[in-house]
Amino acid sequence: IARQRHQKRTPDFHDKYSNAVLASGATFSIAVWTYVATQIGIEWNLSPDGRVTPKEWRDQ
Amino acid sequence: MLPRAAWSLVLRKGGRGRRGMHSSEGTTRGGGKMSPYTNCYAQRYYPMPEEPFCTELNAEQQALKEKEKGSWTQLTHAEKVALYRLQFNETFAEMNRRSNEWKTVMGCVFFFIGFAALVIWWQRVYVFPPKPITLTDEWKAQQLQRMLDMKVNPVQGLASRWDYEKKQWKK
Repeated sequence: IARQRHQKRTPDFHDKYSNAVLASGATFSIAVWTYVATQIGIEWNLSPDGRVTPKEWRDQ
Repeated sequence: MLPRAAWSLVLRKGGRGRRGMHSSEGTTRGGGKMSPYTNCYAQRYYPMPEEPFCTELNAEQQALKEKEKGSWTQLTHAEKVALYRLQFNETFAEMNRRSNEWKTVMGCVFFFIGFAALVIWWQRVYVFPPKPITLTDEWKAQQLQRMLDMKVNPVQGLASRWDYEKKQWKK
């Protein structure tokens, strides 16, 4: 007499794929931003402190 | 889950009109694709809809509804559950269940952030002007030496970080 339950708790799209979507999205985002930030010549103009070796300028 | 709640809100406004259509052709639908269930489910913020979930009852369900008009102590547990399922789509535990939707959402967010990096890459190749001479490495090194010669910000800033005896950055 009891009606069959409408949804038998079968895994939905998120149960099946959400981990893969999250991992691949994060990996893609980190990889491409790392590449774009460092390898294609974008000038971030970071502080020279600790990074740049000064060069003599008066001999020109 | 949220789109479905919004969808059911939209349907609720036209709910009575649709139900009118359903019941007029209801008996002919039989085993067709459309179900005898409403589209408008109870939600946490809408816990008692006017219409029961299951509107077309077969014979034994109708008999059960007749039995419900009597004393409820006569109902077995299974019958009470059946009556609940006729009235409501999901229990509160079911409608409030957690889901993994946030992972899909964040995955898509990260994907589009990565896509933005590709757009910026394209811009770097096709849009950015040539780098000014003042931003080349050689110029910046000479500029740094000139700033150290001028002792720019010697108290806490740039020149204070440079060791003039050893001619290197302070550790």
